[in-house]
Amino acid sequence: MKENVLCVKGIKKSFGGVHALKGVDLTIKKGEIHCLAGENGCGKSTIIKVISGFYKPDGGTIEIDGKEYANLNTAEAISAGIQVIYQDFSIFPNLTVMENLAFNQVLAEKKKFVNKKEYRKIAEEAVRKINFNVDLDARVESLSVADKQLIAISRALLHNAKLIIMDEPTTALTSKEVKRLFAIINELKKEGITILFVSHKLDEVFEISDSITILRSGENVHSCPIQEMNEEKFTYYMTGRNFDAVPEKEKISFEERKSMLKTENLSAPGFENISFDLHEGEVLGIVGQLGSGRTELSLALSGMLKPFAGSIFLEGKEVRLNSVSEAQKCGIALVPEDRLTEGLFLPQPIYKNISVTCLDALAKMAGVLKEDDEKTLSQSWVDDIGVATKDHTLPVSTLSGGNQQKVVLARCLATKPKVLILNGPTVGVDIGAKYDIHKLLRGLAKNGMAVLVVSDDVAEVSALCDRAIIMKAGKFAGELKGEELNNENLYKVTA
Amino acid sequence: MDKKIKKVVKQTEFYILCIIIVFAVIIQIRSGQFFTSNNLMDLVRSMIVPGIYALCALLSFVSTGADVSFPLIAALSAYIAVLAGNTWSLGVVPVFLIAVITGCLIGCINGFFIVRYRFNSLIVTLGTSSICSGILFGAFEAGRTELPEKLYALSKVNIATVKNESSGLGSALPGTFIIMIVLYAAAYFILNYTMVGRSVYALGGDEISAERAGINVKKVRFGVYVVNGGIAAIAGLCYAMMSYFYMPNEYAGAEMLVIAAVILGGTRMSGGIGTLKGCLLGTFLLTMVSNSLILFGISVYWEKVVVGAIIIIGTAISAMQAQRASNPFAVRRKKEA
Repeated sequence: MKENVLCVKGIKKSFGGVHALKGVDLTIKKGEIHCLAGENGCGKSTIIKVISGFYKPDGGTIEIDGKEYANLNTAEAISAGIQVIYQDFSIFPNLTVMENLAFNQVLAEKKKFVNKKEYRKIAEEAVRKINFNVDLDARVESLSVADKQLIAISRALLHNAKLIIMDEPTTALTSKEVKRLFAIINELKKEGITILFVSHKLDEVFEISDSITILRSGENVHSCPIQEMNEEKFTYYMTGRNFDAVPEKEKISFEERKSMLKTENLSAPGFENISFDLHEGEVLGIVGQLGSGRTELSLALSGMLKPFAGSIFLEGKEVRLNSVSEAQKCGIALVPEDRLTEGLFLPQPIYKNISVTCLDALAKMAGVLKEDDEKTLSQSWVDDIGVATKDHTLPVSTLSGGNQQKVVLARCLATKPKVLILNGPTVGVDIGAKYDIHKLLRGLAKNGMAVLVVSDDVAEVSALCDRAIIMKAGKFAGELKGEELNNENLYKVTA
Repeated sequence: MDKKIKKVVKQTEFYILCIIIVFAVIIQIRSGQFFTSNNLMDLVRSMIVPGIYALCALLSFVSTGADVSFPLIAALSAYIAVLAGNTWSLGVVPVFLIAVITGCLIGCINGFFIVRYRFNSLIVTLGTSSICSGILFGAFEAGRTELPEKLYALSKVNIATVKNESSGLGSALPGTFIIMIVLYAAAYFILNYTMVGRSVYALGGDEISAERAGINVKKVRFGVYVVNGGIAAIAGLCYAMMSYFYMPNEYAGAEMLVIAAVILGGTRMSGGIGTLKGCLLGTFLLTMVSNSLILFGISVYWEKVVVGAIIIIGTAISAMQAQRASNPFAVRRKKEA
């Protein structure tokens, strides 16, 4: 019988009348990889903060390694061997790798002075633990996201960690980097370190974890070894609703249909010689890793990046897209990669975010806008797409990731595009909203819209698209359609 | 070795040094007066006060944000110290102590509003600046004031004098130079070799990470503004010593050039990055330009144009470098290609 490294029971926590946790139990056995799953806002981050001593719970008990803690604070949690790797990694971008690794430990030892030699020793020890090859004198801001994460992991290991909590560690990683991370996690497991892996990505959860706990709106819904879990149960427990499968793809050939968007040997900085033909009612996937040129391609097709060779045809006619507004006029709409920085006006109300693309159409004489018109337009889209909000005059920043993405979609659709380009349509979106968005996209395609999905999420493309083009290092690397289009084949070609 | 050279070349400080050398050579060729002992000493002399101010600007930028109050904190606390010194005929040390304490107290006001209410540091320090100026000219009706006897005697002491044989011009290095050196040495040690100093950088890099690591963010930030007040007060007295009189009207307006010098020296306005070396080089460059253009026979008005141009070009270089450095996407792409 393995003992438990962590056992919390009946944890309650509320913030000003809002019950974030309503009695959560979590038991983690020593040496296992335990997954904590749940949709956004289910209380995952709150329970992590309780375990790490950041929040004091209103009720319940915390037992670490068999010892009960009545008033757990952060210092106690750390000395008990609990380490949290936050999504932002808690690093100092302006300092060197060496200092980042050593700083927290030296600070925790309450030392007053800096000893560079000691720093280097600590740092070297830290990176050796996971065989991480990095220039210790480099500034952390110049490193990739994956390397920053490895710094956070190796730093966590310094503190004789028994339980490492990783808060959605794979969000910003490419699939190659995720593989490397998983290898390291398994390595840690062999050394007897327990991992609490927080995620809502289905395939990752099944790949890495030994057992799983699912939370929903502040309550435990289910805990079991991973073998007893399957995809259907997982989505059911996560969302509390049963999904009918995403509408079946049309099993027809699109080649006969009218060509909506066609490129011939299109080349721009980042990719070259890309040719494809997107037909009416078709959902075409462009799959590739970060740096494969997929993002650049989507930018070129929406007028944000100037191609230096090749041509773009829209409904058979050659077009030159010099700006976003020209692309919009041609009927091309883009859902950008990062909705927070490229898509939304976060502090602005939802309805303004939706109406912004149609201001010209809404404007009356002499360009005067009536707010009521904007609101009517927005309300109809909010209802149509199902943005979960009480009031569309609230700022967009109050919405969850999935609903924010729906707002971006609504705004694009409000321009009545003929071709819809989506770059990473469900990045940072929970399962429920992901399902809604997929369903919506299939519906749009059925009504004749041509949809181009640019993504590195292989599972998404194979579930959603009729056909997929694979890009690698800026070049065309293959095409899959019909029965061939499945996860295994896609993995094979993209990796 | 190769790697080390590469690293040096990448630093902003290196570019500033290059610009300094180029300017020096040009001035030397045009006027033949640059590399003369008295000119060089004059340069060092006139960078003492801006150099001390630069410490204030560096500390505030690295930890939080702009501090523009240091010239008026300097003016007010120096005045109070001089006044007290004259009234009770105090020695040098008590006068300096009074100045530093007054400066720190005004710094506390800055720190209190910036830390407690999380107000923007630029706004708060603009406010205290204005209040200090009001108190100085309104309540105290400060005017040109003689220094306390002992302070005056000390200000006449030079640590070195030189005379240019050919032109007959002489120049002296005042004792305040030692104060600057001591302050820089102390700052260098604290910023690089104590956890408090490193906390200042850590805080500027990422406040949340700093808090999670266990740094008392509020205390450090408050401390920075208190220390800034003290340093400014010392600069204020140095300035009075170097002109042998306390002159209240000479203080205001120094902040722009100092901030420009610090930014030029590679300090990042968004926090976390900046070195003392950069501070000194930036201050030296701007002092050199404003002093030496006279040697060209260029009018004072054009001097301002040149200084402005240097600020824009210089800061553009450091801004571009910062952008490149903090763009992991570019690095990643290079790796994967």
